[in-house]
Amino acid sequence: MAEAKPEAKQAEDKGPYRTPAPEPKAIVRLTGIDKTFWRGKEPVKVLENLDLDVPDGSFEALMGPSGSGKSTLLNLIAGLDRPTKGSIVVDGQDIAKLSDGDLAQWRSRTIGFIFQAYNLMPVLTAAQNVELPLLLTHLGRAERKRRVEIALRAVGLEDRMQHYPKQLSGGQEQRVAIARAIVNDPKIIVADEPTGDLDRQSADDVLTLLEKLNKEFKKTIFMVTHDPHAAERASVVRKLDKGALQ
Amino acid sequence: MTILTLAARNLTRNKTRVVLTVLGVGVAVLAFMLIRVVVWAWSMGGEVAAKDRIGTRDKITFVNRLPLRYAQDLKDAAAPLGVTHVTYMDWFGGKDPRNDSLFFGAFAVDHATFLDVYNELSISPEARERWKSDPQAALVGKNLAKKLQVKEGDKITLISPIYPGDWEFHVAAVYRSTAKSFDESSFIFRWDYLNNNKALPASQKDRIGWLAAKLTDPGRSAEISKAIDKAFDDRDQQTLSMSERDLNTSFVGMVAAVLQILNIASFVILLILGLILGNTIAMGVRERTYEHGVLRALGFMPRHITMFVVAEALFIGALGGAFGLALAYALVGAIGPRVVEDFGAMFPFFEITPPSALVGFGLALLAGLISSLIPSYRASRLEVVNALRRIG
Repeated sequence: MAEAKPEAKQAEDKGPYRTPAPEPKAIVRLTGIDKTFWRGKEPVKVLENLDLDVPDGSFEALMGPSGSGKSTLLNLIAGLDRPTKGSIVVDGQDIAKLSDGDLAQWRSRTIGFIFQAYNLMPVLTAAQNVELPLLLTHLGRAERKRRVEIALRAVGLEDRMQHYPKQLSGGQEQRVAIARAIVNDPKIIVADEPTGDLDRQSADDVLTLLEKLNKEFKKTIFMVTHDPHAAERASVVRKLDKGALQ
Repeated sequence: MTILTLAARNLTRNKTRVVLTVLGVGVAVLAFMLIRVVVWAWSMGGEVAAKDRIGTRDKITFVNRLPLRYAQDLKDAAAPLGVTHVTYMDWFGGKDPRNDSLFFGAFAVDHATFLDVYNELSISPEARERWKSDPQAALVGKNLAKKLQVKEGDKITLISPIYPGDWEFHVAAVYRSTAKSFDESSFIFRWDYLNNNKALPASQKDRIGWLAAKLTDPGRSAEISKAIDKAFDDRDQQTLSMSERDLNTSFVGMVAAVLQILNIASFVILLILGLILGNTIAMGVRERTYEHGVLRALGFMPRHITMFVVAEALFIGALGGAFGLALAYALVGAIGPRVVEDFGAMFPFFEITPPSALVGFGLALLAGLISSLIPSYRASRLEVVNALRRIG
């Protein structure tokens, strides 16, 4: 079960005379999801009969112990993996029905990824790393350059465009990774432990940036985290244990 | 930036390994090219042969020598068919006692007819006179004269593992050759000097190694060869006649096993080349599995991953191939003229031909392509989630 933040609860408690705000449309809807892995002949059920609606424009954090299925759930939402059973509709598209090729194209248009270990290409500059997703589009060189500059400016790294990852701090690397995640203007950003490798200050900077993307740029953010401080910055915190949302 | 830029940039990821691999490929290409040059040059001996000469030897083997009278018999049999001159010669196996590691061809030839059949040998009229009048006269090729440090009028003593004793010669001429069909590294002397030597056993007297005949019409060499052999069919020793080209080729055939081994060696080198590349590519792919997972997550397709891996292997193959060719050109350019000078009889040419350079470079690329097939296939087939290895 999702825990709403206090200000959201206050708004709900204002009484019957207030016109209730319309329920935001779910941009992600998971219905009856099962996910089973196989260890040899042994089935391992990671998610079982899971339902989840993620409203458009929300910033959700998913917490849970190791092995609870957090990353598996994140991978399913992001179209990196397929469920054993159930349907996943993201932005009106039933992604379980897409072919591998269509799914890859869909990902490049719809999802921005932020990983724990940043995963920048060490042989490319910050600008080139950010440009990577744009190579899959039909955009010309000048337009790609323009978008890369906008994305890096949005994360405050316009002065580090020609730096290689090894010339950047961990926090800066993660901000480059965020710029890479938003350069395609995706509707949803999935973040897997985005602050896991960062010190407190850098983690705060990254979380502030995610908040900004959510509030100012209306991106739906779904973040897996172990860190309660990181989870505090989300508008909704969900807990997953033994394959089921609590 | 393009997708190919990313593939090229991957080469800079582990510079030491890439440099070592390029060096490895380069050395393999160099070894391959050198072997191909040797095999090609050796086989070219037949190609440069004079088309208007045929050779006649014992039917079974070069080693069996023929009776001297065959020279006249051959002339009688072949003259009506358009044979203008016939000569004979024998292998002497001469060595310079001052430098017995120096290898050169030494032949005892019929002084009366040899220069009519091998008219590409150029000597002065005075030298020709000395050649005719002095039984100990010798014609020394320009390149060999330099190595033996002799000039016209000098005396030189050779020894032979076949004919014991010291053999003294007078250098009648230092000859040049006007065609590749005769090298400038041979030692030619008069057969009668050898045959008249008192120490020569009776069994070795009046024996010759092989015969050579000059034709008016090179197009009839097969027909004339056949007619000559037919004329000796009912003799104790039958003959085998063939064009000089075939004769040279049959000589090469005697070392065919060596050439075969060289051929095999060159392909073993290719295999090594492929393994060197394959190992590097496989290591690179293994190390970048996670990155490939990230790229797939960003929307790159399996074919893009295949392209990255194959392009990287092709880049390394191309760099190694170019480096190997550069080394081969430098080395063959440096030693080639000397090889031709020293071993002109065996290697009338010693150079890299453009087609063989293309083959060398193409094989380096091919090795790159083949070595990347399995790693690229595996990399492209990897599930994104497995590549990311994150199951929380």
